[in-house]
Amino acid sequence: MSSRGLHRDPDSTAGSGAAADLSPTTGPLKSEGPWPAVLRRRRPNALFLTFWLIGSLLVAFMVLPLIGLGATQTGASLARVARMADVQQAIWLSIEASLITVAIAGFAGVPLAYVLARTRFPGKAILGAVIDLPLTVPHTVSGIALLTVLGREGILGEPANALAGMKFWGTIAGIVAAMLFVSAPYAVNAARIGFEAVDPRLEKVARTLGLGPWRTFFAITLPLAWRGIATGLTLTYARAISEFGAVVIIAYYPMTAPVRIYDMFLRFGLDDAAAAAVLLLIITIGLFILFRYVAYGGGSRPGEGR
Amino acid sequence: MTGVTVSVENLSVRVGAFALRNLNLSVAAGEILVLLGPNGAGKSVTLETIAGFHQPKSGRILVHGRNIARLPSEDRRVGLVFQNFGLFPHLSVARNVAIGLDARRAAPDAGAGGVPGDVPELLAHFGISHLADRDPRGLSAGEKQRVALARAFANRPDLFLFDEPFSALDARTRDQLREDLDHFVRASGVPAVFVTHDHSDARVLADRIAVIDDGAVIQEGSATEIFHRPINPFVANFVGIENVLPGRIEGRTGEYLRIAIGRSAVQARSAGDERDGQRVTVCIRAEDVSLHSAARPEAGAAPGLNELSARIVGLANLGTLTKVTVDCGFNLVAYVMTRQARELGLAPGAEMRAAIDAGSIHAVPYS
Repeated sequence: MSSRGLHRDPDSTAGSGAAADLSPTTGPLKSEGPWPAVLRRRRPNALFLTFWLIGSLLVAFMVLPLIGLGATQTGASLARVARMADVQQAIWLSIEASLITVAIAGFAGVPLAYVLARTRFPGKAILGAVIDLPLTVPHTVSGIALLTVLGREGILGEPANALAGMKFWGTIAGIVAAMLFVSAPYAVNAARIGFEAVDPRLEKVARTLGLGPWRTFFAITLPLAWRGIATGLTLTYARAISEFGAVVIIAYYPMTAPVRIYDMFLRFGLDDAAAAAVLLLIITIGLFILFRYVAYGGGSRPGEGR
Repeated sequence: MTGVTVSVENLSVRVGAFALRNLNLSVAAGEILVLLGPNGAGKSVTLETIAGFHQPKSGRILVHGRNIARLPSEDRRVGLVFQNFGLFPHLSVARNVAIGLDARRAAPDAGAGGVPGDVPELLAHFGISHLADRDPRGLSAGEKQRVALARAFANRPDLFLFDEPFSALDARTRDQLREDLDHFVRASGVPAVFVTHDHSDARVLADRIAVIDDGAVIQEGSATEIFHRPINPFVANFVGIENVLPGRIEGRTGEYLRIAIGRSAVQARSAGDERDGQRVTVCIRAEDVSLHSAARPEAGAAPGLNELSARIVGLANLGTLTKVTVDCGFNLVAYVMTRQARELGLAPGAEMRAAIDAGSIHAVPYS
């Protein structure tokens, strides 16, 4: 039900008991059955062929609507929508709120993930399930639940307003709260997988070398878990910027891009809404690709982590 | 004892359901102590407690007279080497070696004396200067070990700790790395504790061996003592003594005991405190048994030498050596060179004579 198990990075598990990388001189030729490798490769494998066919139907189902949507638009129609001030504002707000969400999810979620990866305590399995809970709750329900806590009379909303003048309804703070609620599990779970793939013995060696717990974490553990963390933050961003249900309940105004598109659909019909949708799609996917590139292109090169 | 630089006194630790009980160990400068024991015996827990990863319930860990049992790992000055050597995969070889030096230099108390040695010197000392910029993941096992040693050595440790560094290696690589490790550790003069469940590691590296089982030291001594004079059947079986036989003490003549085994009896050197009629476990290493043709004239009933008529009941060619099982009133395993076995025409049913020095027969109280 969660993203756990996806995006496992094979490189980062090296060192945890892998014997294969140590002895390049060993290993006689593998003999698997009576056929030479070339012949075996040519024998069609009915299982994989079948699974490929079934799987490609799913991929087509996922890709076709997006292509279809894109095909409805011309450069002129996109340019017209892109010049609309309220569309621009909505897209900027979406980007801003989702990046703030990523920052908060990283700041709070990464330490939590490390604790979950490295310590044992009673109720750990329950805590893990609680972290996954937002993934199972319908997003409108999440929005209403957040309103009860962060609203005018909510146990957090009332003191925040009284003490700091901070309002969650109809503000970017509320939008971020809604985004964080639905997307934080991705940050925690992926970072946890990243940390679990770091051999604890590397941390122990670092300690004996004179690195204290903090220095060990930042010089050894964090760089080695970086891909898992980056994957989690990328998913968090993707989930946050695409959130509609929870956001629309806690903050219809100011409008994020998904809310603006919904609003355009209701007021002007499909054509305008589709143009704005394609614009949003291009921007979110572009950012997604950029983040993934940063996540997988950077980090874990020898000599650069410090 | 003079020259002892590290000693563990009455150490008790609890880790989950496992407990170390009143452990005592000592290592002198330049000495390698091997902790030998089966999996789950508590060897690694002992090592990790010395390194500071488990909090002892009681006991002291003294290094040059200073108790380090309550210090955090980073202040203990131990050099730790794990299985697969635990190099940091995201750092170059030079950065692996430098990271500890940097940490010490950055420490608030780094002023006095500073941190000696620098990375190029260390790399040169271990013959790995040419690897400085390499990714550690691409190194051979031998190179990895050198890097791990250089990294541990960079901190001027008071004690080296090795936790089964060879356990994932094939036999040939293991042999080479063992020699290499032996050379560098001895040259450094730093005492070392080496954890393994492998007999050859213990035989080659150990100045002394402590056999550990179930969280306690069962026997401590030289390799000869451990491998030839185990104190109980557990140690005898664990160190791979081929002939572990039930016997009963029948009497004594001077310094020799007469021990009945099966339908036969042997002479063994007495340790002094055996009782007549006592049940014992008799340990005879196969390498201490020599087989002769039955045609060869008997040496006579010399005290201290057992000569038993032996009929071959089994032969197994192991390559250079052939394992021969003979019946001499009890089953006895011996080794002969395969070439000799062929020349002598050894075959099941052949009558031989087995000779065993009384000093090579070791009896421990039955348990």
